[in-house]
Amino acid sequence: MASAGGGSKDTLSLNLNPMLDIFSILITFLLMSFSTDPVSHDVDAGIELPQSNTIVAMDEVPTIIVTKTELRVNDNKVADIVAGDVPEKDRAQGAIYPVFEALQKLAEANKRVNKPKSDDPNAKGSTGALTMEMDKGHRFKLMKRIMLSAQQAEFVQFKLMVQKELN
Amino acid sequence: MSRKKKRRKIEYKDIDLNIMPFIDVFSMLNTFLLFTAVFLSVGILEVQIPFLSNTPPPDDPKDSRVFEVKVDVTKEQVEIQTAYTRPPNQEQKFPFPNNADGLKQMHQKLAEIRKQNADTDKATVFSEDDVSWESLSAVLDTVMLRIEGDPIFPPAKDAKNREKAEIDAKLYLYPKIVMGSVMLR
Repeated sequence: MASAGGGSKDTLSLNLNPMLDIFSILITFLLMSFSTDPVSHDVDAGIELPQSNTIVAMDEVPTIIVTKTELRVNDNKVADIVAGDVPEKDRAQGAIYPVFEALQKLAEANKRVNKPKSDDPNAKGSTGALTMEMDKGHRFKLMKRIMLSAQQAEFVQFKLMVQKELN
Repeated sequence: MSRKKKRRKIEYKDIDLNIMPFIDVFSMLNTFLLFTAVFLSVGILEVQIPFLSNTPPPDDPKDSRVFEVKVDVTKEQVEIQTAYTRPPNQEQKFPFPNNADGLKQMHQKLAEIRKQNADTDKATVFSEDDVSWESLSAVLDTVMLRIEGDPIFPPAKDAKNREKAEIDAKLYLYPKIVMGSVMLR
């Protein structure tokens, strides 16, 4: 199959069977782990998600990402996280002011998009649900601050990201 | 009469199978699968937080006596609290240790409570500030999700999206989870 170069007329036969074996095993593994989830999202390198038995797949990319060191809304950093909490300057009434500001803009945009088709000019659309990706080591105190900020921006539904346990 | 059987001699020839196209297909398939591979399967737990609204509730709460299920989470313990909203309240508390065995026992108790009060599909979870998200998610799993052997409860009669409610009934023990601790100070 493969021949050595140069003037020699000797033919070298390359044994491809081991390579085919590896390929077959690799393909079997990849086909078995092939995901048909509606949304593909790479979890942030600084985040470890808690395990869950849920079978409900993530259906939208996360709006709020809470790594060990920073808090992001729509991929924009809004606050630092120091010792598992936001600094004093960012807090207001137990909530996080920069998160509230960012979510308020988002809520207004969502309401416009989700406005029901009716003749009533005062009809309001819903803000929808917020998907949150949070490191498993964070305490509920921080989650509560984020949820409070969202509540003030009229978000009441949350989709909390978890890692599905493989059975 | 002897009959001599003619045996045909099988001749083996060396055939050269061209496996190059096969390898090409495998390589392409490998590349595609490696690019699209998701090595971490991500799911979601849906919860809601309490909110204040001017809209009146669908049925007049003045006369209704509603059964409520609450779950209190601390680092060491999880406690189920059940009570009616109007007297006689018949308040009951069932504490369990916050570990794998304790959560298993709590799930059994919750399934029992749901069996007795099938119309109550909402549970309110209260958590202390120092509980980790990992620990809280385990509690949410225990409260929300059905496990093998749990009965399937019919969806709520007033469900807006009937189709979704029927799917939820198969997945969840308590489909509606409210994070009760999220209130402005």
